[in-house]
Amino acid sequence: MNQTFRTKSRHGYSVKFSPYLPQRIACATSQYYGIVGSGSIFVLDVDPSGVRVVQQFEWSEGVFDLTWAENNENILVAAGGDGSIQVWDVSQPQGPLKALREHTKEVNAVDWSQTRNEHFVLSASWDKLIKLWDISQAQSIETFQGHDHIVYQVSWSPHVPGCFASASGDHSVRVWDCRRSDGCVALIPAHEAEVLSCDWCKYDQNLLFSGSVDGLIKGWDIRKPAHPVCVLRGHKYAVRRIRASPFSGSIVASASYDFSVKIWDTEQELCLDTVEHHTEFVYGLDYNLHVPGQMADCAWDELVHVYQRPLNLP
Amino acid sequence: MADRLNTVFGHLRNQTVKSELEVRNTAALPNWLNKPDDIVIVAARRTPIAKAKRGSFKDTLNDDLLAAVFKAVISDSKINPEDIGDICVGCVLDKQAATVARLAQFYSGIPEDVPVYSTNRQCSSGLQAVMNVAGNIRNGAYSIGLAGGVESMTRQYGSSAAGFEVNPRVGDLQVTQDVLLPMGITSENVAAKYGVTRKEQDEFALLSQQKAMQAAKQGLFDAEIIPVTTTVTDKNGDERTVTVSKDEGIRPTTIEGLTKLKPAFKENGTTTAGNSSQVSDGAAAVLVMTRQEAARRSLPILGVIRSYAVKGCPPDVMGIGPAVAIPLALEKAGLTVNDIDIYEINEAFASQAVYCVKKLGIPIERVNPKGGAIALGHPLGCTGARQFSTLLHELKRRGKRSCGVISMCMGTGMGAAAVLEYPGQA
Repeated sequence: MNQTFRTKSRHGYSVKFSPYLPQRIACATSQYYGIVGSGSIFVLDVDPSGVRVVQQFEWSEGVFDLTWAENNENILVAAGGDGSIQVWDVSQPQGPLKALREHTKEVNAVDWSQTRNEHFVLSASWDKLIKLWDISQAQSIETFQGHDHIVYQVSWSPHVPGCFASASGDHSVRVWDCRRSDGCVALIPAHEAEVLSCDWCKYDQNLLFSGSVDGLIKGWDIRKPAHPVCVLRGHKYAVRRIRASPFSGSIVASASYDFSVKIWDTEQELCLDTVEHHTEFVYGLDYNLHVPGQMADCAWDELVHVYQRPLNLP
Repeated sequence: MADRLNTVFGHLRNQTVKSELEVRNTAALPNWLNKPDDIVIVAARRTPIAKAKRGSFKDTLNDDLLAAVFKAVISDSKINPEDIGDICVGCVLDKQAATVARLAQFYSGIPEDVPVYSTNRQCSSGLQAVMNVAGNIRNGAYSIGLAGGVESMTRQYGSSAAGFEVNPRVGDLQVTQDVLLPMGITSENVAAKYGVTRKEQDEFALLSQQKAMQAAKQGLFDAEIIPVTTTVTDKNGDERTVTVSKDEGIRPTTIEGLTKLKPAFKENGTTTAGNSSQVSDGAAAVLVMTRQEAARRSLPILGVIRSYAVKGCPPDVMGIGPAVAIPLALEKAGLTVNDIDIYEINEAFASQAVYCVKKLGIPIERVNPKGGAIALGHPLGCTGARQFSTLLHELKRRGKRSCGVISMCMGTGMGAAAVLEYPGQA
């Protein structure tokens, strides 16, 4: 199944599959490439018969990222260019349930904890801070300082409760324990350029991947941060987002400023496939947890694609 | 704002990125298994398209046009003409098409034990000829076939209706009446029914002319056109020999000029001579075989036929044909609109082309990137075969593995579409 949706006059920043409904995606978009203007969140149902808009939310500022709640199929948390973190209910079209404002600059990423019975959200901001939230409360629970530049992404470990990783413009990837606010537990000087994305391997609790402005993707054993375990070369421009496959420990997908999405075998350090259906920077990328091989991406060409990539690539 | 701009620029500034050796499996296309019995195209050529009655082919007969393209594809592929299993030629207006095709075969040096026939599926006759050959190869009738299309609108346009005995019952049904509508009226019907404005049609026509002119200037037609040497008789009755190597319908065009033209078919109508296809002469040929046969001869593959669909539609709005046929062909190939790099959609009229492009949501820059029939001309039976040349040589020039679509509408109410894959450089 290949389906395409146009986010008219809105440029794609992030797309995420629902953890509850296999056909549902949410896409965070911004007007005027997110440089100025407002933003929209599209909630879409995608199946072989087509794409249906379930809900469209408008926000006065660009929306740069979003994450689905793990405890309620209708709740979305979004990252605003105005420093806000908005909580939206898909069943309530009128507006966000709340907007949490603590970051003083753009929020670039949000991530909902996958550890059961803990409903924490992390936010990463251009103000160099990472914040920990319980969205039922009005204030953040904790603030993590240490990065010297924009924090582009933050990602909960799928294995170790309370553990998360962050990627920053200060060229580092850091690993944190949310019970310790006095600094990171590991600092990986990952690239010689800004690090825009990171994601954990879903099958190895010590393996972390980073993607950078230098066009490289590197794999890291967090216990031995001196040397990468793999380096994936092929993107011609910055790697904007990487996602580790939920179905294979050695497959990673990446979206880049070179307009392409690539799928990699990290063990063979080999590019398995290049997807070239965008004509602008590709910013958003996600794997469907329910449908093996199904992916979604979004780009500055206003297009969201949902498509299938076979897992048994050569 | 400045911060955001600088941040994005910062992401593009890094010079350490090196484009290194990489595995490129291309686009969102499926990784089709290459089967030995896949039907592939190894050569596709066409004559230049000349203006009917005024152009360089006004004194050239169909068999000479056809023989030129037959020779060209045989020479391109270096096959032995004896190995051709069958020849099929699409032609709409020439009642002697089957005989003319047989003559062309001999003029081009294809021996008499190779059979030939003609086919007529209106404006998709050239495409249908290729698909007939492809189908017969798939049926196992032979493994190499030659397809083509030809039309001399100088000679047969307008005269073809002569002797057509219309059934007195034709008025009993609306649909049978509609079958006999002039094509220009069906264009007006499409424009009125689906709200395609004069302005949209003129802009589309202008774009077609501009793209064709640009492509001609850049030499993008050189790979597909086989120059034809022929004779032309001038006003004084003097014959002279000319070698025609360029399409003659391409002309400098302005939106002002197009806007001034009077409707050609209906008072207060929107279809004009400027936003309709031109009346032309030309021929094209396509050499088709199995992948196995191409491999045996070490012939590079220009295109793989991935799907084909024909579908009927109401005769009074026959121009919507591509909008019904393209989705079917895409579905058969397992592709979506966005997976196609180039759409060659015949521009019978700007009205119907605009409607089809909008209806299917095709990004306009993927439609007829080298211009279409509004600029190049539409020699009816030739067009479908001509589109193979235009599409496949352009996909090849771009280099990467990609897919293209050929489609057109047909008088009496039908649409046809084929999906072709250019497999990339071997």
